[in-house]
Amino acid sequence: MHVELRQVHKSFAHNGSAIEVLQDINLTVAEGEFVCLVGPSGCGKSTIINLIAGLEHPTSGEVLVGGRPVTGPDPSRTVVFQDAALFPWLSVLGNVEFGLRIAGLPKDTRRARAMEYLRLVHLSKFVHAYPHQLSGGMKQRVAIARALALQPAIFLLDEPFAALDAQTRAVLQNELLEIWELARPTILFVTHNVREATGLADRVYVISSRPGQIRDIQAIHVARPRHAEDPILLACQHKILGLLGDEIEKVLREELGETVHFPEAQHASPPEQARGMHI
Amino acid sequence: MVLVPRRAAFLKPVLALVLLGGLWELTARLIPAWPGPGHVIGLLGGNLLKPEFQSALLGSVRRMVIGYLLVMAVGIGGGLLLGRVPLVDQVLGSFAVALHAIPGAAWVPLSIVWFGMTERAVIFTILLGAAGILIVDTDTGIREVPPLISRAARTMGATGVKYFWFVVVPAAIPKIVSGLRLAWAFGWRALMAGELLTSVSGLGQQLSAVAKTGQLDQLLALMLLIAVIGVAVDGLIFKRLEHIVRVRWGLA
Repeated sequence: MHVELRQVHKSFAHNGSAIEVLQDINLTVAEGEFVCLVGPSGCGKSTIINLIAGLEHPTSGEVLVGGRPVTGPDPSRTVVFQDAALFPWLSVLGNVEFGLRIAGLPKDTRRARAMEYLRLVHLSKFVHAYPHQLSGGMKQRVAIARALALQPAIFLLDEPFAALDAQTRAVLQNELLEIWELARPTILFVTHNVREATGLADRVYVISSRPGQIRDIQAIHVARPRHAEDPILLACQHKILGLLGDEIEKVLREELGETVHFPEAQHASPPEQARGMHI
Repeated sequence: MVLVPRRAAFLKPVLALVLLGGLWELTARLIPAWPGPGHVIGLLGGNLLKPEFQSALLGSVRRMVIGYLLVMAVGIGGGLLLGRVPLVDQVLGSFAVALHAIPGAAWVPLSIVWFGMTERAVIFTILLGAAGILIVDTDTGIREVPPLISRAARTMGATGVKYFWFVVVPAAIPKIVSGLRLAWAFGWRALMAGELLTSVSGLGQQLSAVAKTGQLDQLLALMLLIAVIGVAVDGLIFKRLEHIVRVRWGLA
């Protein structure tokens, strides 16, 4: 199923006044496409995920999935959050079975399905462990298995790897791509990491902040598996960093009330410098 | 670094006990009418062998078990109802808080008026003395589902009754368990108050009997037993349960 946001605006009430979080968002994710949203913190990219998940509603505009407006959460659109949000009282297996249990699947079926997805994320040996016994990376694997076990048409990921160390993040990014190639769900992946976005996505939406607006859309025409040093990727990252550089300065200026300058994000900086940055 | 505080944690209560016993012994030697720890513990040991005392102890235990089971049913059931049904909360919410504010002993006279000087009156005292805190804690627990847990559950299709039983109730368990622990302590106090005043055969009634005849050493032996049971049940059951739950729920 494809996802479409049409002229979406979103405001929150804050101390009696409305704060505009998203302004005129027009966004599409084609069926089976892998799209990343990248932008500075506070730009409203998580709100876009919440709108598609049905956890929030737009102030105006339309959020359509498969051509139909989203009215609320649905197990055909599952989410992986930054903090795995596992149920601490359930074992790894129990967590992955959760949605299937809610759906009313018989015990044998849901166990078999849960085991299948736990194998997919390489956690077969940890099925009886509890979340408090797992590392951050393992928790995210469980969260991914839990969300995928429902075999969603739309798979939403909200900065899923942001809290992980660089190595774990790289491993999970590759595994996510492998899983995506297997089942080809429609993926919308939110990140503030430019390198992550360009490494994963078919297309990258660059979101600017306060209010969140779509600044640019970059199609990444690079075959997978992608090489980190691929010149097209580097050029793309460079361009996005250039666009976001002013954004990050803008956010910090508003927060700190002074002018902050980021030399790394300047258009003139060489790609080698830009590559090391995780905005 | 890790071993030292652990060992210290184990030693501290022992040290405190030795210190307290020593102080008790010292004061007993200075004041002739004040019985020492050795004598009192010996007396307690002797008591435990007497059939009459055993039946009093068993009576107390039985009432406590029945009373506590009722407390669990009313406390958890009432708390879930209060948290789940807004109307019940509006009508009975302040009642539960008021219930929680009245000490167990204050219920004894009413219990006696309703049930006479009977075992039922004692059990009723336990119920009213301890159910309030469990109702309030259960209610609080089910209102404080972590928002992220709630969102994750909703994206996986959990709504209504399933959401309540598979998400809200388990999320409330740490709070319910801490309520159970407090309810035990409150119930145990209420039991003693109830037995003291109704003279239904039990530890509380024994306490009142030996006090009337001025047997200070027997009085101390009984109070020691009451304290030991209170501490033992709390430490061996509730504290452990609370710890296990807090670790699993990621709160410790």
